[in-house]
Amino acid sequence: MAPQRRRDPVHTAFYGGSVAGPLAPTRTPEETVEEHGDLDRPWVTIVWNDPVNLMTYVTLVLRELFGYDEPTATSLMLQVHHEGRAIVSSGPRERMEHDTSRLHAYGLWASFQQDS
Amino acid sequence: MRPFRRRGDDVVARLEPAETRVVALLLDQLEQLLTADADDVAGDPVVARLLPAGHRSDPELAADYRGMTESALRSGKTDDLATVRASLPSDGGTVRLDPDQAAAWLRTSNDLRLALGTRLDIAEDTEPPEDLSTEEGQQLAVYYWLTGLQGSLVDALVAGRAGRR
Repeated sequence: MAPQRRRDPVHTAFYGGSVAGPLAPTRTPEETVEEHGDLDRPWVTIVWNDPVNLMTYVTLVLRELFGYDEPTATSLMLQVHHEGRAIVSSGPRERMEHDTSRLHAYGLWASFQQDS
Repeated sequence: MRPFRRRGDDVVARLEPAETRVVALLLDQLEQLLTADADDVAGDPVVARLLPAGHRSDPELAADYRGMTESALRSGKTDDLATVRASLPSDGGTVRLDPDQAAAWLRTSNDLRLALGTRLDIAEDTEPPEDLSTEEGQQLAVYYWLTGLQGSLVDALVAGRAGRR
């Protein structure tokens, strides 16, 4: 598990790496909920599935940021994992933008939108 | 590496000299990406993953969101990175983190995995490398090493939460 010392293994990992390219399709789902600008519909914050974030990490972040108990956070994490996304909060647009930014600070793949 | 474990309110791990050098190098590269001129990294998939769009279908809402949040998101990430760098032994040794430092390590180790994982096009079924003679094999090994390190940190922090009840 220890990195090789013979050569610098990560020197080109971020800059000029030969593997740079478009994100894999799994990371850029086209799916979004259709919006009609209906003022009555609440806004939601969504966490999308991601091949990098650890399941235990996602659960911990949802507990920390939203105060969910462990079973609720685990259930939301599993919904993200199996269904590709889960709504983790809902409310006014400004608050959903704030929740999205808190999730982005932890590297979760999140966005806000008006609920369908 | 001896993975993270709880010691009272702190978490403690032990890293080999080669491991601390790799982490230091990755921190430098992550910092370069986060502080680069926006034009120089336009379209870079790693930057797009670290500073993602807030809205997926409405460019105006996405631009509003970016205008409101991106600067703070960037500075939060570079502050975390500085905390990790300051608590990283220069040539191997014990890493002892208080709760604030541990939170910075948690987020930064995730950013490093996101960056490497995006460069390496990691999928959920990607396996650890068998061939370490190639550059990609070595980078994948680093990615999985970081996964082990971050996983132990998550477990230690979850154990701490349970202990507080």
